[in-house]
Amino acid sequence: MTGGWSIEAQRYLDGEGPPPTDADERARADAFLAATRGYATWLRVPGPQIDQAVIEAVGRSGGQAVRRSVWRWLVESRLVVRPAVAAATVLALIAMSVGLTLLTRPPNRPTAQPPVEGGRGAGTGTVLVRFELDAPGARTVALAGSFNGWSDSAITFSRSPETGRWTVTVALPPGEHQYLFVVDGERWVQDPAAHAQVRDEFGQTNSVLVVGPRGVVRS
Amino acid sequence: MAGEPESDAAVVARVLAGEIQVFGILVARYRPAFARYATAMCGDPDLAADAMQEAFIRAFDGLRGCRQPERFGAWFFRILTNQCRNYRSRWGKHEAAEPAVLVEAKASADDALMQGELRDAIARALDQLSADQREAFVLRHVDGRSYREMAELLAEREDVLRMRVHRAREQMRRFLEEQE
Repeated sequence: MTGGWSIEAQRYLDGEGPPPTDADERARADAFLAATRGYATWLRVPGPQIDQAVIEAVGRSGGQAVRRSVWRWLVESRLVVRPAVAAATVLALIAMSVGLTLLTRPPNRPTAQPPVEGGRGAGTGTVLVRFELDAPGARTVALAGSFNGWSDSAITFSRSPETGRWTVTVALPPGEHQYLFVVDGERWVQDPAAHAQVRDEFGQTNSVLVVGPRGVVRS
Repeated sequence: MAGEPESDAAVVARVLAGEIQVFGILVARYRPAFARYATAMCGDPDLAADAMQEAFIRAFDGLRGCRQPERFGAWFFRILTNQCRNYRSRWGKHEAAEPAVLVEAKASADDALMQGELRDAIARALDQLSADQREAFVLRHVDGRSYREMAELLAEREDVLRMRVHRAREQMRRFLEEQE
């Protein structure tokens, strides 16, 4: 038999009416309910190990004073400085940021989620990595990298309305990853906190992050 | 006499005042409430765990943007739903043969096989639904929520959700009959 559920059967499936009078329809409805209940019963659901991991993660990031980084000045400048003076300003700030970033780099950027259950992520072999960017003048920030096919829209940051800090946490498999931040959907910028920047085969300079099975190895 | 549990609004206020660890109360409150939903939506328990962790961290990061802290649960649910959609689109859906969401049955081999096939069929039928239909079906039939609760969580009218569930069941029935 093919076709849809009768109104009578829909009410029965909603638990709001008696069983369908048609025996075949009733048998199908009962089988459907039984299979659905079985599916629900046998689902393996995330357990309390998540709770501690979340608290450790927010405890590390949430209690820290927000730094005003050189990068924030750079991004602000690129967004608001008029073209006539932008080039010189940006060049100067880039030169400054290369030096100062080494001195002022926050130790937790990007940071890894504390290992859960034997040092792995939540069981997928991935590690949760948190990325941050101070860019209060930006309208949107996205994360593009070798781990998402360099999509400029798949992983978007959330912004704190008070600090202007943009953050996102993603699950990454162990290995070396290259990435960039996409500001306002058009400016591809490096992470000033990355431990290394490398040039790819297209001449583009990317930030590098190394993830080990127990967390971020180098960031 | 045990006191009443602290309201969501009170907990949110304490977190925003700097008591970061108190956020754990909200995690312990809403992880069990939405864990089954997350697993069914992601199609995999490990993906669901990652999605839930990320959703809680996003909720913490954006807590000042929670305009109705007394309705933290519904606000968090929307963040979690978005995370589940992202994870599902990025990392995949139910495996066809032996979905990871299932564990071994403590029944006879035949019963276990039959039950496993049924659950597998439901899992694959869920994959055929639109995201909206899947959400509604999972909340109604997997989570066992009333249409009123669903309306609260999804900020939709009950009749709209009822129609969504009906259409989901129609589509699942067609899919299951094609498999017979």
